[in-house]
Amino acid sequence: MSDTGKNMKPGIIAGRILLLLAVTIVFTLSPSIAATGNVENGGKLYAKKCWWCHGKEGEADGPAADFMIPPPRDFSEGVYKFKTADPKAEIVRDEDLFRAIKHGMPGSAMPSWGEIFKDPEIWDLVAFIKSLTDMFEDMDNPAEISYAGKIPSSAESIEKGRKAFEAAKCFECHGQAGKGNTIKKLKEDSGAKLWPRNLTKPWTFRSDYTPEAIFARVSNGIPSTPMPSFAGEKTEKGKLSLEDRWHVVNYVMSLKDDSSKTKDGDIVVRGIQMVELPKDENDPAWDKASATAFFLVPQIIEKDRFFTPTNNLVKVRALFNDSEVAFLVEWDDRTKSVPGDDAAAAIAWGDLTPDALAIETPVVLPTASEKPYFGHGDASHPVSMMYWNSGSVESPNGTMLLTTTGTGNREKSDATAAGFSATGSYKDGTWRVMMKRKLTANADTDTSFETGRYIPIAFANWDGSNGEVGSKHTLTSWYWLLLKPETGNAVVVLPGLAFLLLVGGQLLFAGFLSKGRQSNKS
Amino acid sequence: MKFLKPILAILAGYVAIKFGIPYVGSLVHPGTWPVVPTSVLKMYMAFVTLGIVMAYTFDEEGYAGLIGPIEDIYSNPSKAIVRYVVVLLVGTFGAYITYEYVKPTFDAPIELRSVHPAPPSNAKMWGKTYQIQTIQNPYREDKENFAKNLEEGGIVYYKNCFFCHGDRMLGRGHYAVGFNPRPANFVDVGTIAQLTESFVFWRIGTGGPGLPSEGTPWLSAMPVWHNLISEEEAWKVILFLYDYTGHSPRVTTKVEH
Repeated sequence: MSDTGKNMKPGIIAGRILLLLAVTIVFTLSPSIAATGNVENGGKLYAKKCWWCHGKEGEADGPAADFMIPPPRDFSEGVYKFKTADPKAEIVRDEDLFRAIKHGMPGSAMPSWGEIFKDPEIWDLVAFIKSLTDMFEDMDNPAEISYAGKIPSSAESIEKGRKAFEAAKCFECHGQAGKGNTIKKLKEDSGAKLWPRNLTKPWTFRSDYTPEAIFARVSNGIPSTPMPSFAGEKTEKGKLSLEDRWHVVNYVMSLKDDSSKTKDGDIVVRGIQMVELPKDENDPAWDKASATAFFLVPQIIEKDRFFTPTNNLVKVRALFNDSEVAFLVEWDDRTKSVPGDDAAAAIAWGDLTPDALAIETPVVLPTASEKPYFGHGDASHPVSMMYWNSGSVESPNGTMLLTTTGTGNREKSDATAAGFSATGSYKDGTWRVMMKRKLTANADTDTSFETGRYIPIAFANWDGSNGEVGSKHTLTSWYWLLLKPETGNAVVVLPGLAFLLLVGGQLLFAGFLSKGRQSNKS
Repeated sequence: MKFLKPILAILAGYVAIKFGIPYVGSLVHPGTWPVVPTSVLKMYMAFVTLGIVMAYTFDEEGYAGLIGPIEDIYSNPSKAIVRYVVVLLVGTFGAYITYEYVKPTFDAPIELRSVHPAPPSNAKMWGKTYQIQTIQNPYREDKENFAKNLEEGGIVYYKNCFFCHGDRMLGRGHYAVGFNPRPANFVDVGTIAQLTESFVFWRIGTGGPGLPSEGTPWLSAMPVWHNLISEEEAWKVILFLYDYTGHSPRVTTKVEH
């Protein structure tokens, strides 16, 4: 305990103060490091790695630009979406550009370049990108937005946030449950297709999932998009008071839904056996089955390839009994697309077509690793496809049972014989669709679902308000379905028997040895 | 005390197989942890146990040393409590082993996949038949137009490939997470760096469905590119892959007779 302040030599104290000063100076000067980023070197790096999307002059017209949503940023405009500068500032902070390059934009095509570039190189890129527009000329790096007044999260604050979310009409775009199920058609200033953020999936937030980042977003809005700055004196439509902005931050943070995320290595839909199967997709009996989530990716494999999906995940459950199997598939979809619905047609991009879902399983269950090709099977390996769509206003729930042998080769199979039915309902930005059919079916055209066996299963999804029709849709790879039968008595009886035999045997052995010991003694 | 040594030796054997082997594996292939399958582990442990018991009971004294304490526990009147505990423990252990055998297990089928299976000797692409061993990249030696061809290859890449193989060619494009097997990482020394351009050309041209069965063609999301891009575009994108990653294609050296 000799190294206390009291006993410290003045030299050491002075040394520590100097160190502290040095650290402070380095930190306060970091913006000036940014300012000294080397434009020329940044340009070289840009020409090698960045122009493919952002274009040679930074005008967002690179060869890849048309194949993504959101589109790449147009640097010639100098307007940036994710701004942590003070709301009064006209430009973003250098740190905002740095963050976007270093950590990327989750859920978009922008990767985290921090794995490739060192920090000084990223500052060089920041300097180069700023040189592509006159927006930053004669401008100092603006001050960071003030995070003063931050309110720790609590049930009370979240509830206040929910009310403020309502009062400021955030739900008009983000939906009542925060799933981005907008009632308006939204565009970027460039005219590009835009869908509001699903706030329950923070892993798709382009910037960080922190109270500060969300506070900056609410206060600054997202420039070049319809998301306005909500910074205001009092809370009303389109405005939030400082206090309410922090409550909204806590509310948004609370919307995170971890079940809407895939779990690493979890690739099995585990079906549970029960006596009565659920009546419909909203039956509470579905809570008994656990859900497995799978990523959806666009169909980029065959003509016509599709690059701009909206839905990104399905959650799947299965239940079965002696004769039937039922699936519940849920997915967040910003639009309920039902042809004939004028409100839906008004916000759709392209013609409004039905939302749809397909579940694919092999007709012949594979015994070795060989399976049908995951997209529609192949000539020698047919797959059975259960298909549902939202139908139309006049007649909802279109269903089909198909057998396919490769893309474009499909035939309807006998849905009545297979006992196939499917219904769906849409609430607060989420579709729930239940599909049900007999366990056993026509062996030539349909899948017979055997219990206790791993059955390959894959999914396809169409968002009818996003131009998804025919080959333009999202899909999954092969995953597994396991209908786990209830275990029989043998699991209890046999170990019990083993226990009794071993205990009895040992006691006999002990008795035998004891006798020997006694006779030795006598 | 004589008991302790063989037990410790058996434990050491277990640790070596359970953790030692995967550790060595992780050194050879960093980032992996190749565990010994349970069935193999059981077999090895049976041999280890048998070997150690044989070693320790080799002579009369060792035999007595090992067997003596067992006899004592089962027959010494002053060790009744220890005896009953041992009897129950052995019984429970037996029940547990039996349970492990009879409990229904539902293991997902093992999916073995050869990442770079041997190519066929010839393949049909773009309406022609190619001898895969002998084809050459026509743009490799065209030094005059190299930069132009390279950029055209890059454009092909960013219009077609980067969604899966990624901006950084790490196999982590924005749609990579949805596919199994994951898209190839071209920066890794285990992919294009150890392949010839003709092999890469075949993999691009015929895609996932063109793989032999050991390459699990039914799983691969790699498109059949000869349906989607031209032969020239395929060669140019190969040029770009090697240039961007800094790798050199493997060359097949001709043996002179």
